[in-house]
Amino acid sequence: MERSKYPLYFSFPALFVFLLFFITPTLIGIYYSFTDWNINADAIKFIGLENYKELFNEPRLKQAFINTLIFAAAVTLLQNAVGLALALLLNEKLKLRNLLRMIFFMPYVIAPLVIGYIFRAIYHPEHGIVNQFFGLLGMDFMVQDWLNDPRFALFTVIMTDIWRVAGFSMVVYLAGLQFIPKDLTESASIDGANYWTRFKHVVFPLLAPAFTVNVLLAMIGSMKVFEIVMVLTEGGPGYTTEVFYTYIRNTFSSGEMGYATAINMLLFALVTLVGVPVLMAMKKREVEM
Amino acid sequence: MRKMKAVHLTMALMLGAFSLTACGSNNGSTQGTNAPEGTATAGPSAEASAQPSAKPVTLTFLIPNTEDVTPYNLIFKEFEAKTGNKVEVQALPGGDYDNMLKTRFSTGDFPDVFLMQPGTKQYVKLRADETLYEWSGEAGVWDNVIDTIVDFQKNADGKAYGVPFGKTGMMGVFYNKDVFEKSGVAAPTNYANMIEIAKKLKGDGVTPFYEGVKDGWPTQVFYLTGWVSQVDQEIGDEGVQKLNVNQLKLSDIASLKDLFVKSKEIKDLGLLQKNTLSGTFDELQNELGEGKVAMAFMLDGILPQLEKKFGKDFVTNKIGFFPFPTATDTGTAMITPPNQLMVPSKAKNLDAAKELVKFMISKESVNTFYQSQPGIPVFKDATSELYPMQQTVKGYIDEGKSKVNIQNRLTASFLDFGKTLQNFHITGDVDTAIKEMDANYVKDGKAKRLEGFE
Repeated sequence: MERSKYPLYFSFPALFVFLLFFITPTLIGIYYSFTDWNINADAIKFIGLENYKELFNEPRLKQAFINTLIFAAAVTLLQNAVGLALALLLNEKLKLRNLLRMIFFMPYVIAPLVIGYIFRAIYHPEHGIVNQFFGLLGMDFMVQDWLNDPRFALFTVIMTDIWRVAGFSMVVYLAGLQFIPKDLTESASIDGANYWTRFKHVVFPLLAPAFTVNVLLAMIGSMKVFEIVMVLTEGGPGYTTEVFYTYIRNTFSSGEMGYATAINMLLFALVTLVGVPVLMAMKKREVEM
Repeated sequence: MRKMKAVHLTMALMLGAFSLTACGSNNGSTQGTNAPEGTATAGPSAEASAQPSAKPVTLTFLIPNTEDVTPYNLIFKEFEAKTGNKVEVQALPGGDYDNMLKTRFSTGDFPDVFLMQPGTKQYVKLRADETLYEWSGEAGVWDNVIDTIVDFQKNADGKAYGVPFGKTGMMGVFYNKDVFEKSGVAAPTNYANMIEIAKKLKGDGVTPFYEGVKDGWPTQVFYLTGWVSQVDQEIGDEGVQKLNVNQLKLSDIASLKDLFVKSKEIKDLGLLQKNTLSGTFDELQNELGEGKVAMAFMLDGILPQLEKKFGKDFVTNKIGFFPFPTATDTGTAMITPPNQLMVPSKAKNLDAAKELVKFMISKESVNTFYQSQPGIPVFKDATSELYPMQQTVKGYIDEGKSKVNIQNRLTASFLDFGKTLQNFHITGDVDTAIKEMDANYVKDGKAKRLEGFE
């Protein structure tokens, strides 16, 4: 069957909107990153690479950089693992399938700020249900100050975010699973392939587009993490959960707009540097049905 | 198909780019809102145009949540009855108050009136000449204010962008008298004595000190109170002036470094509560009130909170106060000038906002305030019943053994000091902490484009 083709100029209105509201501000942002724009100064001067030089000597940014990468790697990996597992489970014929799908997706539609406030109570060292639960089980070694102990704070934020976003990955994977023709898995089944073999050789390759979408969105989203960190830990204790955006927020609020924009650009470059190769690699392994 | 894929890919990248530059573009518009309009300074001419709004309006009043709102609500109730205008109080987190306020200013989301910490450095922070209403020539504002307080409100040009409101505050060590009595100890005579007392209290099963490290700001009080007792003795007023123009480095002040050493010593001796990193201002009040904790380096904002939780009698009879002791004596009392009421010149209801400020500093309103929050008054004919610990501070003031908080004497701020101290609690590295404090101070001076820092 031949696919209907549309002329390229159909996308021009959308491209124009993107150009006006997306590309132009980006270019303006790039320009400001080379200026000394500061709310306490009357004039804005072009200062070349000064902001970039300064930010590479900032130890706090280095910490934010490391934390952001750890956060992004952990969330991307686990969000997809949990999302895929949930999708495979809820693709089976279960009685409460639709209800469970809704329950697992629900955290994604709740504002991260609200989730942050709820989890602050959940992780409370004395009154939080996490520690009370471990206490009831007699697992006192697991009773910890989850958000304020530098050893656990970043891990706790990561786990909370995975809880929040895994449902989204699940939905994308579920959509991907729906598109896999049943006759392919059924014929593999008749040929004697067990569940794991069917998954490895039939389902997994055909889920590649869903993987691309999920991995890319998870990666970009987690590199831009802000609200959940801000509400749960404010980047603390100390700088142990500081990420790019909590640091950017800090510099913006001290009035250093040019410098803060330079950090933003650094993050933009980082997302692009990581995102584009990942996108290319994942696109390569996609197969068309 | 390939072309469409390319279009999709371009669009996805554009979307990513937009989300990353959203902050930058937002703040681009910010600058426009901050542009001078030439109407910021008004003086007497503004008075003439100040008319109560014919139609009732709702005014927004911003206040940090470390302040007790009770007296404000009482005053606003009276104001509402008198004018028909309503006042909506928005209490913002104390630790983030300045940042949130600046953000609201830079986005043009001005409150009508807001409470601000004292000190002319706030004028620099908020770009007062462009954003705030100027009060120095306003009739009916200054007559009742004590002269020294009037002077403190004005910048070098004699302009006042804030109106004093509240009381002379204090910071120091608040202690539970019952706990001290049970252990047979009294307020310390010097620093070593304070540590001995703390050890004795610990031996009796009480936590000697509480640090609200999670909240960040409470940890600063140790250093600010220590400054007036210890650092001011080393560098004097001249040193402070040098700090103001960046001719003296914080990291070169030996007595400041010693404060970090002392703080670490207190922690290493196990004189703090168990989970210092999860310590909060709220828990501090509970533990001090319940007698589980003996002492806390704190500001007097704790008093109304304690009164709310444990009653007026408790605050009157069971809470004591002493300054940060020195090696040889009981130290210098750290005092804070009253807060300032400020009105953005672009406030939505400017006239009604000015009217509210004048109502707040009227004799009746001021007395309502002091009834609810007793303190050392800043208005000439005000009456206030002082708590015993405020009498203690007044004694220090009368003896000439008091000094204004260093934060109110410097134009640059100890930027992110709470964070630095949180980190210090984790690492225990004195040199790193003081180096960071110094670097952040210079950074703030630079960001504010202050003389000597650029």
